[in-house]
Amino acid sequence: MHHHTDYIRRDFLKKMGAATLSAMSVGLPTSSFLSSCSSPARMPSSIDTVILLWMAGGMAHTETFDPKAYAPYEKGLDSKRVLSTFPKIPTAVDDLFFSEGLENIGSVMDKGAIIRSYRAADLGHILHTRHQYHWHTCYEPPQSVQPPHIGAWMGKELGPVNPVIPPFISMGQRFTVGEGEELKAFHSAGFLGTEFGPFLIPDPSTGLDSVRPPQGMTTKRFESRNQLYQELVKRSPLEEHGSGYQKESLMRSMEQAYRLLNSPEAKAFDLSQEPKEVYDTYNTGRFGQGCLLARRLAREGARFISVSTEYEPFLGWDTHENGHTRAEKMKALIDRPIAQLIKDLDESGHLDRTLVVLASEFSRDAILEGRPGEKVLDQVDQPDQIEDIKYYGMHRHFTDGCSILMWGGGIKKGLVYGKTADERPCASTENTVMIDQVHQTIYHMLGIPPETEYTIEGRPFYTTPDGHGEAILDLLA
Amino acid sequence: MEGNSFLWIAEFFGRLHPLIVHFPIGLLVVALFLEILTLNGKRPGLREGISWLIYLGAASAVLAAVLGYILFQVDDYQGDLVQNHQLLGILTAILGLLTVWVMRFMQKKGSQHLLYYRSSLLMTVITLTVAGHLGASLTHGEDFLTSTFPWNDDGYEKGNAGELLAEFAVVSDKAELSTNQKDRLNLEVRAIFAHNCYQCHSELKQKGELVLETEEGVMKGGESGKLFTIGDAKNSEIIRRLKLPRDDEESMPGKGKALAEEEIKLISLWIDNGAHWADESLKIFPEAQLAISKPELPSIADEPHPVDKLMTAYFEVHDQEMPDVVDDKTFIRRAYLDITGLLPNPEEVIAFEQNTSPDKRNQLIKTLLSDDQNYTQHWLSFWNDLLRNDYSGTGFITGGRKQITNWLYEALSTNKPYNMMVKELTNPTEASEGFIKGIEWRGVVNASQRTEMQAAQNISQSLMGINLKCASCHNSFVSNLTLKQSYGFANVFSDSTMEIFRCDKPTGKMSEVQFLYPELGHIEAETVKEKLIQLSEVMVKPENGRLYRTITNRIWDRLMGRGIIEPLDEMDNTPWNADLLDWLAADFIENDYDLKHMLERIMTSKVYQLPSINYSDVAALKDDDYEFTGPARRRLSAEQFADAVSKVVAPVYYAMAYDPEPNAVPGAWIWYREIELERDILPKPGKRFFRYEFNIPSAKNINAADALITADHAFSLYINGKKAVEGSNWRKVKQVKLDEFLQKGANVIAVEGENEGQIPNPAGLLFSLRLSYEDGSEDFVYSDENWKTTKTQPQQAWTALNFDDIAWEPVKIYNAENWGKLISFSFNQNDDQNFARASMVKQDPFLKALGRPSRENVTTSRDNQATLLQALELTNGEFFDNVLKEGATSMLAEYGNDRDTMVNELYFKSFGRKPSEDEINLMTEALGKNPGVTEVQDLLWATVLLPEFQFIY
Repeated sequence: MHHHTDYIRRDFLKKMGAATLSAMSVGLPTSSFLSSCSSPARMPSSIDTVILLWMAGGMAHTETFDPKAYAPYEKGLDSKRVLSTFPKIPTAVDDLFFSEGLENIGSVMDKGAIIRSYRAADLGHILHTRHQYHWHTCYEPPQSVQPPHIGAWMGKELGPVNPVIPPFISMGQRFTVGEGEELKAFHSAGFLGTEFGPFLIPDPSTGLDSVRPPQGMTTKRFESRNQLYQELVKRSPLEEHGSGYQKESLMRSMEQAYRLLNSPEAKAFDLSQEPKEVYDTYNTGRFGQGCLLARRLAREGARFISVSTEYEPFLGWDTHENGHTRAEKMKALIDRPIAQLIKDLDESGHLDRTLVVLASEFSRDAILEGRPGEKVLDQVDQPDQIEDIKYYGMHRHFTDGCSILMWGGGIKKGLVYGKTADERPCASTENTVMIDQVHQTIYHMLGIPPETEYTIEGRPFYTTPDGHGEAILDLLA
Repeated sequence: MEGNSFLWIAEFFGRLHPLIVHFPIGLLVVALFLEILTLNGKRPGLREGISWLIYLGAASAVLAAVLGYILFQVDDYQGDLVQNHQLLGILTAILGLLTVWVMRFMQKKGSQHLLYYRSSLLMTVITLTVAGHLGASLTHGEDFLTSTFPWNDDGYEKGNAGELLAEFAVVSDKAELSTNQKDRLNLEVRAIFAHNCYQCHSELKQKGELVLETEEGVMKGGESGKLFTIGDAKNSEIIRRLKLPRDDEESMPGKGKALAEEEIKLISLWIDNGAHWADESLKIFPEAQLAISKPELPSIADEPHPVDKLMTAYFEVHDQEMPDVVDDKTFIRRAYLDITGLLPNPEEVIAFEQNTSPDKRNQLIKTLLSDDQNYTQHWLSFWNDLLRNDYSGTGFITGGRKQITNWLYEALSTNKPYNMMVKELTNPTEASEGFIKGIEWRGVVNASQRTEMQAAQNISQSLMGINLKCASCHNSFVSNLTLKQSYGFANVFSDSTMEIFRCDKPTGKMSEVQFLYPELGHIEAETVKEKLIQLSEVMVKPENGRLYRTITNRIWDRLMGRGIIEPLDEMDNTPWNADLLDWLAADFIENDYDLKHMLERIMTSKVYQLPSINYSDVAALKDDDYEFTGPARRRLSAEQFADAVSKVVAPVYYAMAYDPEPNAVPGAWIWYREIELERDILPKPGKRFFRYEFNIPSAKNINAADALITADHAFSLYINGKKAVEGSNWRKVKQVKLDEFLQKGANVIAVEGENEGQIPNPAGLLFSLRLSYEDGSEDFVYSDENWKTTKTQPQQAWTALNFDDIAWEPVKIYNAENWGKLISFSFNQNDDQNFARASMVKQDPFLKALGRPSRENVTTSRDNQATLLQALELTNGEFFDNVLKEGATSMLAEYGNDRDTMVNELYFKSFGRKPSEDEINLMTEALGKNPGVTEVQDLLWATVLLPEFQFIY
């Protein structure tokens, strides 16, 4: 493959001087088992960085970015009439309306585009983590080999933007929750090897802890500990027998960790460096803090960052009851920080080379479960007449017509792509988008050719299954 | 035609490029040749002719470059090759002109400039040659030239077409070929199709609606009709297309090179002879022999060990000498790590070094192999990876996955014969069915991931080194396996006949039931149960050499750092020593499939004991041309490293996810039952109180009363009103003698427990008391559902016997999984091994960073290179930091200011050696005069990260 040596070299010389070139192995080949058949020519890129704002749990499009007829709550309301439980509001783009509670994001839509026609795969009986796995890897689980997360592909193909910022950062999701094992299954570099795995920051407010010397260790102590180590290595009799790849990789990784933990860039992980008013604007909770940390890291040179609203069964966007009230809270959680993130990146000029994507594993509906025409098991009871507000909202899983938002890096400004029906089923009626197209669009913008592949256990593995899916060039200016 | 009506002109000129290029080549090369003839001033008469050649050559080079550029513009050419060819073509034209200019300059200014002119001409011709070569690569394919080299043989080159033709030429006059000949003819034709046509005309691609993989497809033809009429090759479409000029659009193959004349003749012959289709499946790729052929041992008297005999012969062939074996210290470390996964204790190393018995190495191996517990707890990781068995992971929440730990642990600790293991995995009991049951995800899955197919894939990969994954979607492109075979095998596990799906699309064809190697036996039965019985019988037949070679190769890899065949899952690849592999596999079968015997066999050889070899990169180690010179240097596995740290520093893990002796000590985790909104919730923070009354028969005398107690997070234990012990670290069970506290008749145990934290979180109390009486009998008193509890602070002396707890509630038993099986919750505590083996704990971020795989898929070799994430986990991970801190604290308590003893012990424990003078100085200096926890901690950190600690050398 054509690797990113030029990236590394350029940033490197700028940041640290050539003496440590050998120390940086993220991206530089540690000899790998992976072999690639073709070496596709490098394509031009329009972005360096991707920020994924992940709405975990299934965000209903009709309650957020694609509102339909508003049915205000009243006792005895016919469930069939419930398409949206909020009124529409205007956005910065003419004729583009959002659901109430998303005013701030609405105000930055003149800087980005909305896809209203994403259709999640039909994986039968709905399981959130299975669809999330599919969204993040583009492969449906289970697979006979483990496919990499989209962030791991970026780390592997492009390496880090800034050598001291890990290329694949995942924020906001803990794995101690229900379905935690299923979540772990796709937060993985899969066959690309642990080297390209995610750098996990479950709690953005403690992000700094992951990149500084252990608690209670002074810089001086950290230095002398490292010094002692280096000296002992030199004196070990094992040294007489020369050095092999294993020692090389051990030494290199230790040196790298030392650099990272000691580097001034580590400050980027520290939210306390932000002025109070900025912090407050973002701070709607862990998700908001994640957006702020993502902004800091994007400016410092991150490759891929995901910020999740955190998936926990029946919490967050996973509304099985009280859909209306909970959607209101979720919108309050995301609206301000996301809009601020876009504004800040735009002002500092970083939005030119950064793609921000907002997406969810699937959408929801008040009545339909699954995809139109494909009946799956109802997960919750929905009465015909709503007598209690807890039945007011989108409580069932629906896989079509989901919204995806994109900003930056040459995405057309103010574009509305695709359409959904105004009556139930509110499914996509125009320009239906599938997951492999989403991935290929992102890879296209990054300059990763669609024919990129590795031979795993004798079979070619592409970034998307069989290399399918065409980049949606209509999204790009 | 609008808009580009002149395009045809450009196209026309562009296509003159391949014609014109021959002029500069011819002219300039001849010019150079003639120029060489004029060296040393000879043949001056040639000079004028050369000038003309150079004028014409340069002019034609310019013309060729221009035409080439036009061609590039109008035709669809891309890629590095074109770019380079273009660049060099233009450079040739420029150099040609330069040569003309230098030549004229020389003609005017005199022959002292002859050298410049000649160099320029030479440069031009060199550039021209390379440009020409690249151009040829463009039109004929990059490997047009190099593929003729014998070392670039892709294993197939026209196959046996020539031989067959020669053979059949003799008989072709006669009426009929024999059936055998027809079969061979057909297979050869199919091989030609496979290598030249499948890329487009497979079941998968079906270009032009043509499939050449199957009889049906070949006979049916494609878009343009039938390929041929049987008996009439001459007028057939296929032969016509194969014979068309290569630039004809209809010429076949569309990609790659044209078929050789012999190949076309062979296809014609096949058509003319009835286009017979052989029943046999086509074997395009090399396949290992199924049966094992045990070789005779070479008669090498100096080497008594069979492996050494075989390897001495190997070394001789490779012009090597058998090197000397490693010293005792290195050997004992290796042997311990390979059999038990643990570092040897310092005393053991010293005793072994001092032992003068000539047989001591063999003895040590025997002794280690008889340590069933540690052998099992080390090799468990290998088997868990291989059988993708784990204590947590995807599939468990919805019941879509089942552990086989119980079965596996027992199989290893009783050293179950391998053929029995395989039988029980393929025809499982309830305890071992998790392997073939697969992992079931909720919802619709890809047909190639049905659990039946998973069973077929996993058995093939893990047990027989066959990759069935390609062929479970479509006929494999990298092996001879077909979709039909995969389904035939998967169908064994299915209770209804499976429909064959190709690339997740139904084909309408129903699958047969067939083992991958029908020559070993057929599976014909109605029920799954019967099919599995038959399968298990067929699988373990000694004739199934694949099964035994595969495990032999895996074990060799574990011990030597590289398989005899690589990759380990591709057992059709060529071994670097076929005799060695087959001899070991045969020896394994002859010795009752005894895995420990195989370990002993290999480890007692000199070959195992040779110095380890460093490799500059993994590729060099895994290379096809690998030559054995000694075991490869390995890195400790995640589990070996964690256990080594547990031994040298402080326990990394205290509790096991799997308890091999579940009832060894009675006692359940109990706590107050917390209910909110009619639902059980996790215990809230705060104090809870527990009581339990019991009787000691007055007829018995207590000899000893030992209790074990722990609580998450803290407890105080009272016996009959008196405080006995307290604790605040649930990982560390308190063992306490209660003889003094107890009395005959009624007694009461009272415990004040506390759950810390801000939010509800797991809490539990675990207690067990063993009463040993003088008459030799024993009684146990332990925490169970009969204990009582309350959450309100009792007012009176609630710890005393005479207290009324009638209003207290019964306790709730909490799932022990929260804590696992605590190593120290045992009356026979082993001071030497006060930690839980890492192979027995749930996957966690620490082990994951160190390379323990998530066992959703079979893993047969781990990546053993260090990574940044790993180094970060070790450098600033809180988990590891705490282990080091704990180790430093206890070390300081033991050695205090005695730095010399401290570093000596540390090095002995870690490396089995004393530190050098130099090392001592360095370490004592780092520790300072009065070392504190931080200094010791940093020393521990530096020690366990040394390559000498991390590697098996």
